[in-house]
Amino acid sequence: MVMVQDKTDEIQQRMTILGELDIASFLPWIHRHAAKLGLGQTVAHADDARIELDLRGPEALIDMMEIGCLLGPIDVWVETIARAPCNAQFPNAKTTV
Amino acid sequence: MRSDTTGFWTPVALSADVLAGTVIPARVSAGIIALWRSQSGHVAASADRCPHRGMSLSHGFVRGEALSCIYHGWSYGQDGRCVRIPAHPGLTPPETIRVTTYAVRESDGIVWVAEGTPASDPPSLAGWIPLRTLTVEADREAIETAAGASASADGLLETTRADERLCLLLSPSQQVRTGMQTVTHVLVADGCLPPVRIAASRSAERLRRMAETAAEKGRLP
Amino acid sequence: MTDDTASAQAMTDEWYPVGLISQLDKTGRQTALMGEPIVVAHDADGQALVTGHNGRRLPVKLRYGHVWSSLGTPKKDIFAIPEADQPGRRFVDVGVVRVRCSPLRAVENFLDIAHFPFVHTDVLGAEPHTEVLNYTAEIRPDVDEVWATEVKFYQPQASKSASGGITTEYMYRVPAPTCSVLYKTCPPRPTEWDVITLFVQPLAEDLCDVWPWMALFDDETAMTDLIHFQQMIFLQDRSILENQVPRLLPLDPGMEIPTRADLTSIAYRRWLKRHNYTYGAQLVAR
Repeated sequence: MVMVQDKTDEIQQRMTILGELDIASFLPWIHRHAAKLGLGQTVAHADDARIELDLRGPEALIDMMEIGCLLGPIDVWVETIARAPCNAQFPNAKTTV
Repeated sequence: MRSDTTGFWTPVALSADVLAGTVIPARVSAGIIALWRSQSGHVAASADRCPHRGMSLSHGFVRGEALSCIYHGWSYGQDGRCVRIPAHPGLTPPETIRVTTYAVRESDGIVWVAEGTPASDPPSLAGWIPLRTLTVEADREAIETAAGASASADGLLETTRADERLCLLLSPSQQVRTGMQTVTHVLVADGCLPPVRIAASRSAERLRRMAETAAEKGRLP
Repeated sequence: MTDDTASAQAMTDEWYPVGLISQLDKTGRQTALMGEPIVVAHDADGQALVTGHNGRRLPVKLRYGHVWSSLGTPKKDIFAIPEADQPGRRFVDVGVVRVRCSPLRAVENFLDIAHFPFVHTDVLGAEPHTEVLNYTAEIRPDVDEVWATEVKFYQPQASKSASGGITTEYMYRVPAPTCSVLYKTCPPRPTEWDVITLFVQPLAEDLCDVWPWMALFDDETAMTDLIHFQQMIFLQDRSILENQVPRLLPLDPGMEIPTRADLTSIAYRRWLKRHNYTYGAQLVAR
């Protein structure tokens, strides 16, 4: 388990990834990348069109997770990534790059 | 070098060649590493690759107790942890963002870097002190043949030529782009006078020429 | 997506810079495009001529001070830079710099600003002004180009025509796999953009010739000073480009840690991936 330096700037967000997601390769990739960033992570949902991740950590690091996931492994094509505070019903504005 | 399965020490540089506040490239069997000394004098060794975007860390700079990458200034402590990401000054980097480090020891004026987990401390140089480092474009065998002597398990090679004793400390040979290469440290007796030091230096250079010539001949069709 | 034939073809049918119009002569410049030796010269009638393997004639165009060619059959014209047609602009052929790196890495470095305080110290940036504020980057579907806008960075000496420190605004654009256009604040004419381009000629997957070019509003600075300034900047970038691992541009950032400051670079890699522009790219994280 990873210890975050300052718990007060830790937030919890749900990241929704849409696209042509080969979860066999993307999920291990996501796990490694989130661990590298020291984020708490839970996969709430995963299929080859949509992955829902619950992430916990400083917002700037969740930002970095989003940036990395926009590319992901070579056989994955990410169309959009949306983020919302955890337990929210609807995601905020989508990010496309 | 040794057939020690738990690890071994490689003599990578002279302590005197790693100035406080500087970083230099050094070579271990895994490849190039960034060898650096903090402002307060502590030496450290890290992988030569910044985890941000792969820039060589041995091209970076040392400021205080951290090594910074020259590309975007990401800074790492002696334990390898990232301590600063300049593009995002408000972020405290998590301890998981780090560069791989190697254990380092300084003894008898030599900086030793561990590969694997050595069973003991680096060998003592038994009264010899380091003078300078030479890079020989040949493998250990060529150096031993030129010297007419074998190196010990610790890499020490002593030879006498025209009443002059020469002692070399050999690193494991490495495969580089141009062939085999052996980083070699020239040692002299503690307290010896300048003429002896000069003679040792010249002797070592002569040995290098002989080893490299033999290696070159071995390469020709 | 990883089919070798498809990827080889994707970058074959594109335009690449191969020389300067001002240096065309009868003898010709021996160079290469993606491993194929080519010769860039002018023929007996003075027309630009590019010949490839076995003397086959390759397509030729003259644009933005440079000779352009292709190993295949480009379906589109060379991208437009409308600012280049504005009266009063000075055009600067900076001249070629050879770099031992992937042509895609050369473009990616050009898109990056977080390195300004460290690589172009006291010129394009300086500590402690290292923060990169959020900006926008996207693949514009109408033109199918990468665009980054609202990019801002504080600079002590942004260009030869700037008299002191200013917050420079930028826009970045990638209209072709090995070309980038940057638009930056123009001190003498604050409502206009200065245009600086990087046209990269891919010689091999890990070797390229870089041709910077500019279209500026600057009536004061001598041409040689404009050229030297841009060359100095680029030579500083070259020392980075030749010491990055892996040599090819990774399209999987699994061994890297991109941040929000790297958004344009990620957009560029994403665009390359979608188009299968993989000459000079590393597909698996290494």
